[in-house]
Amino acid sequence: MLDGEPLVRWRWLGDHLGYLAGLTGDHAVIALVPVLIGLLLALPLGLACTRWPRLYQPLAAVFNVVYALPSLAVFVVLIPYTGLATRETVMVPLTFYALAVLLPTTVDGLRAVPEPVRQAATAMGYGPWHRLAAVELPSAVPYLIAGLRVAAVSSISLAAIGALIGRGGLGYLFVDGFQRTFPTPILAGIVLVALLALVCDLVLVAARRLLAPWAAGVAR
Amino acid sequence: MIRFEGAAKRHPDGTVAVRGLDLEVPAGRTTVLVGPSGCGKTTILRMVNRMVVPTGGRVLLDGTDVATLPAAQLRRGIGYVIQQAGLFPHRRVIDNVATVPRLLGWDRKRARARAAELLELVGLPPETARRYPAQLSGGQQQRVGVARALAADPPVLLMDEPFSAVDPLVRAGLQEELLRLQAELGKTVLFVTHDIEEAVRLGDRVVVLREHGEIAQLADPHTLLTAPADAGVAAFLGRDRGLRGLGLRPAAEVPLAKLEPAYDGWQLTLDPEGRPVHWVHGGRSHPVPVFDPARDTLRSALDAAVLAPSGHAVAVDADGRAVGAASRAAVVAALAESAAPSPQAGAGAQVNHA
Repeated sequence: MLDGEPLVRWRWLGDHLGYLAGLTGDHAVIALVPVLIGLLLALPLGLACTRWPRLYQPLAAVFNVVYALPSLAVFVVLIPYTGLATRETVMVPLTFYALAVLLPTTVDGLRAVPEPVRQAATAMGYGPWHRLAAVELPSAVPYLIAGLRVAAVSSISLAAIGALIGRGGLGYLFVDGFQRTFPTPILAGIVLVALLALVCDLVLVAARRLLAPWAAGVAR
Repeated sequence: MIRFEGAAKRHPDGTVAVRGLDLEVPAGRTTVLVGPSGCGKTTILRMVNRMVVPTGGRVLLDGTDVATLPAAQLRRGIGYVIQQAGLFPHRRVIDNVATVPRLLGWDRKRARARAAELLELVGLPPETARRYPAQLSGGQQQRVGVARALAADPPVLLMDEPFSAVDPLVRAGLQEELLRLQAELGKTVLFVTHDIEEAVRLGDRVVVLREHGEIAQLADPHTLLTAPADAGVAAFLGRDRGLRGLGLRPAAEVPLAKLEPAYDGWQLTLDPEGRPVHWVHGGRSHPVPVFDPARDTLRSALDAAVLAPSGHAVAVDADGRAVGAASRAAVVAALAESAAPSPQAGAGAQVNHA
C-alpha cells in the first residue's frame, strides 16, 4: 500500500457509480443464473432419485467430485470450448457447484415427508406421481430454499474468481485494486459482494415465508 | 358390508402375516380387531383398501371383489384414519379435511364448506380451520384426521389404532366422540387396536385375534368379558374383566328407593334446585357420589355406592337433581340379577345401534 494513499477515496467512488453498478449487475447474472439452472436440473434429478433410489449414490458422488475441483482449474480447462473472458466459461462450473449443493437438499426434502403422511395420501386415493406433486414437492420447499441460500451465497463468492480469466463481475475490482495497489476498488468490491449476498438471502427468506408459511422451524 | 373370504397374506420372504381369514363385517356397525402386536390386524385392515394385496382368498366390499376396482376410486370411497393422523403439514386444517372431496372433483368452495361442517362435527372450534397441523395438539390432530376421513361421506371407515398416540384423558374424550359420531352416522367401521379396554368400549362386535390373523373369539363385548372362549382370550382380557363388564351394563338396572331423611346419621343436603351438595354427619361433611341411571353404567353406580359414606349412591337426573338412592346391597343385588347380554349402554351417551 502506498504511503499517503487513503483507504477509501470517496471521490473515485462518486466518479465510478455507473461502472460499479454495471459490474454488480454482471456479477449477479454470472453468479445467480447458474443457481437457477442448477435448481431446474436438481428438481427432475431429485425426483428421479426418489423414484429410483439406486440412482442417488452414484449421482451424488459425481457431483461431490466436481464440487471438489478448484474453480480456477475448471475455468482454464473450459477456455478452449467456451472462450476466454466469456460469461459461459464461468457459469458452466458454477452451475455444477450449485447442482452439487441442490441435489442432496432436493432429495432430503422429498424424503422428509413422514411415512404416515405418505400412507395417508395413498389411502385417500393419490397415485404415486400425483402424490409427488401434491404432497412431497410442497413439503420439500423449505429444504429447497435452505439449499438455495447456501448455493446462492457460495456462487456469488465463487463468481469473483472468474476475474482471473477476465470475467468475474465485481471480482475485477480485486484484481484491479491489487495490480494498482489501490485499496478503494477492493473495499468497494468486498462491500458490494457482501451486499449482493445479503439481498439474495433476504429475498430467499421472504420467498420461504410466502411459499411455505407452515414451515416455521422445520428446516433452516 | 365387508367380507373376507380366506384372505391370506404371505410376504415374499415366506413369512405368513395372515393365514386365511373368513370374517364378515356388518354394515353400519363397529367391528374391532384386537390382538397383540404382530397378529396381522393392520394387514387385515389394509386388505380392504388394497394398501395390502392378499396373496390368497379375496375381500368383498358390498359383494364386489376389491381387487377388481381401480385402487384410487376404491380408496376415495373408504375413510382411513391412522395413529399419527398423517395430516399434510403444508396444508391448512380446512384444506386437509377437504382433500378427498377435491380429489373427487368438487370445487374448492364446496369442498371447504363441507370441511367446515366436519370440523364442527368432530368438535373443533372454527378458528382451527386456518391453522397448520403443527399448530394443533395431538388430540386435535386426531380429530382433524377423523374429519378428513369422513369428508366425502364414505360408507366405510378404517381406523388403525387412531387413538393410541394420545394421552389417556384425551383418548377417552376421542373414544366418546367416536361413539357419538357413530350413533349419528352409522358407518361401517373396522377398527384396529391392541387395547382390549378400547375394543370393548367401542365395538359392537369384537374380534380377538392371535398370531397369523386367526380368530380366537368373535363376540359382542359383554359376551367376551363374561364368557371368554378359552384361557388365552381370558388372559388377554386381563384380571378384572368381571368388573369391567359392568361398564357395559346400564345403571338403569339398579332399582331406586325414595330418598330418606338420613342414613345412619348421614344427612343429604340439597341446594334450592334439589341438587345434592354434601353428606353431613355431626360436624363432618363429605362430597356426594352420584350416578345418572339414564346415562351411566352399572360400574358407575357401584362406584358411587362404594364411595358414599352413607352407603347409598344418589341417583340424579340430567340436570343433576336427586331423584332417588340405591344402597350398596341394592346395587350388588342388581349386579347378580342378570348375566345375560343386555343392550350395551357404554359410558356416556351411546345409543343402541340396532
